Amino acid sequence: MTSASATRRIVPLSKYAFLTIFGLLMLGPLLFALYTSLESPADYMHLVGFSKLTLSNYRYVIDNAQILRWYFNTAFVTAGVVIGAVVVNTMAGYALARIRFPGRTVAFVIVLAVLMVPLQAILIPLYLLIARFGWLNSYQALMVPFMVNPFLIFLMRQSFQTLPPDLEDAAAVDGARRFTMFLKIAVPLTLTGIATQAVLAGTWTWNSFMIPVTFTTDPSHYVLTVGLNSLQSQFYTLATVQMAGVVLLTVPVVLMFLVFQRLVIPSVATTGIRG
Amino acid sequence: MLLMPAALLLGLWFIYPIVESFVLSLQHVDEFNFAHRTYIGLHNFSQLVHDPAFRHSLYITLVFVVFVVPAQTVLSLVLASILQSVGVGRALFRAAFFVPYMTSTVAVTTVFMKLFVSGAPLANLGAHLGVPNTTWYADVHLALPFLVVVYVYMYVGFYIVIFVSGMESIPRELYEAAKVDGAHAMQRFRFITVPSLRPFVIFVVVAGMIQAIQIFDQAYVVSGGSILGSPAGATSTLVVFIYQQAFRLNALGYGSAGAVILLLIVLFGTLVTRRLIPEREA
Repeated sequence: MTSASATRRIVPLSKYAFLTIFGLLMLGPLLFALYTSLESPADYMHLVGFSKLTLSNYRYVIDNAQILRWYFNTAFVTAGVVIGAVVVNTMAGYALARIRFPGRTVAFVIVLAVLMVPLQAILIPLYLLIARFGWLNSYQALMVPFMVNPFLIFLMRQSFQTLPPDLEDAAAVDGARRFTMFLKIAVPLTLTGIATQAVLAGTWTWNSFMIPVTFTTDPSHYVLTVGLNSLQSQFYTLATVQMAGVVLLTVPVVLMFLVFQRLVIPSVATTGIRG
Repeated sequence: MLLMPAALLLGLWFIYPIVESFVLSLQHVDEFNFAHRTYIGLHNFSQLVHDPAFRHSLYITLVFVVFVVPAQTVLSLVLASILQSVGVGRALFRAAFFVPYMTSTVAVTTVFMKLFVSGAPLANLGAHLGVPNTTWYADVHLALPFLVVVYVYMYVGFYIVIFVSGMESIPRELYEAAKVDGAHAMQRFRFITVPSLRPFVIFVVVAGMIQAIQIFDQAYVVSGGSILGSPAGATSTLVVFIYQQAFRLNALGYGSAGAVILLLIVLFGTLVTRRLIPEREA
C-alpha cells in the first residue's frame, strides 16, 4: 500500500499549493498596486530593487490633487455615518427584539422588505430629495442616507435576541426605565454586535461610490473613491501616481478588516443563511 | 420610542423613494425644470420596450450575469471545499481570499485597468490563452469580459465565506457514521456534502444573479469620464442605462421606468430565493 500512503501525503500538499496560488492571484493586484506606487514613473512595469523605490508618487499626488482634502472628507463622512448608524440601528434592533408593541411584526416585515431594495433602483428619487433639501455638494447628503440600514437593524435584532429574556421583566417597566435598561443592561451585553455594525457601516461608507459620485460635483466635496476616479483622467499617463491613490484609499479598510476579521466574517456568513 | 429615528429615516430614504420611483415612471419630467412633471401613463414603458438602447442594456446585463454567476459559484464552491479540508492555515487563506471583497470597487477597477493594458501582465497572460494582446477595457469585444473578471475577483471571497459557513453547519457525526458504513471520500461528498449544501448553492446562484444585475461602479470607472457604457455601449448594463438616461440626459421619468423594471426583477428574484430556501428563524 505504498502508493496509497504516498497519495495521502501528496493530496494535502497539492491542496496547499492550489490555495497558495489562488491566494497570490487574489492578493497579486493589490501587491502590484503597492509596489508600483513606490516606483518612479520611469521604472513603471519593470522590476527594480528596493534601493530604487521612492515615495515621490505620494508626494506628487498630495501636491497636485486635493487628496488630503478627500481623505478628510471620507474620514469625516465615515465617522458620522458610523456614529449615526450605531445609534439608529441599535435602538431599532432592540425595539424589534425586546419590546412588545402593536405592529411589531409588521415593522419587522417592512425592514425585511426594504432589505431587498437596491440603492440603484431608488437613486433618482433620492437625488431629487437631496436636491430639494439643497444638500448637493454637502456632507449631509453623503451621511444621512447611510445612517439607517435594514441589514444592520436585522443584525442588531439578532444580537439582542440572544440575551436571556429574564434580564428585564418586560411587563413591569415604563418608558423611562425601559430606556435606562436598554442603555445600562442590554447595550453593554451586545458590544460585539455593535462593534460588528460599526465595522460594516464604516467599510461600506468608506468604499461607497455611486451615491457620492452622483451627489457631489465640486472637487472640494469629493470623497476618496470619487477623487481617485477623477485622477484617472487627470493623471492619465502617470500610472504610478494613480497607484499611490489606490494604496491610500485601500490601506485603511484592509487594516480594519485584518484587525476585525473575527467580527466581519461571521456577520457576512449570516447573510447567506438568511437570504 | 426607540424605533422612531429608524422609522423616520427608513420612511424618508427608502419607502418614500420606492413609491416615488413608481410615480416618476408614469410621468414626463421636464429636462430643465424637474418640478414640472406631467402624467403620461405607461408611455415610458412602451417607449422602453421599443428602445434599442434599453434592449441592448438588457442583453449586456444578461450576458454579464450568464458568465459571472457560474464562474463565481463553481470557483467559490471548489475553493471552499479545499479550504474546508485542510487543517492548518485555513483562517489565513480565507482572509487572503476575502480581502478583495473589502476593498473599494474603484480601487480594484483602477488596478485591473493597468493590468489589462496591451503588454501588461494580465493582457500578456490572455495572449498566451489566445486572446488578442490589447487593452481589454477599450476593446468592444473584451470590455465586458474585463468587467466579468474584475467582478468575479471581488465577489468570489464573499461566496467562499458563505460556502464555508454552510459546510461548517453539516454535523460531523454524519461523516463519521458514513465512514463507519464504509463510504469513501467521493461518496461522502456526493451523499452528504452536496445535499446539505443545496440551500447554500441556491442562495449563491440566486443572490449572485441579483447582485450581478446591479453592476454599476465598475462600468462607471471603466468609461473613464467619457460616455457611460464605453466603448461603443459594450459595458452599457441596465443600471448604466438608467443612470445615463437620468443623470446625463436628464430624462428622470424615463430613467425611473427603467429603475422600476430593475426593482421588479430584483424583488422577483428575492422572493424566489425565499421560496426555495427553507426558513430558518435565527
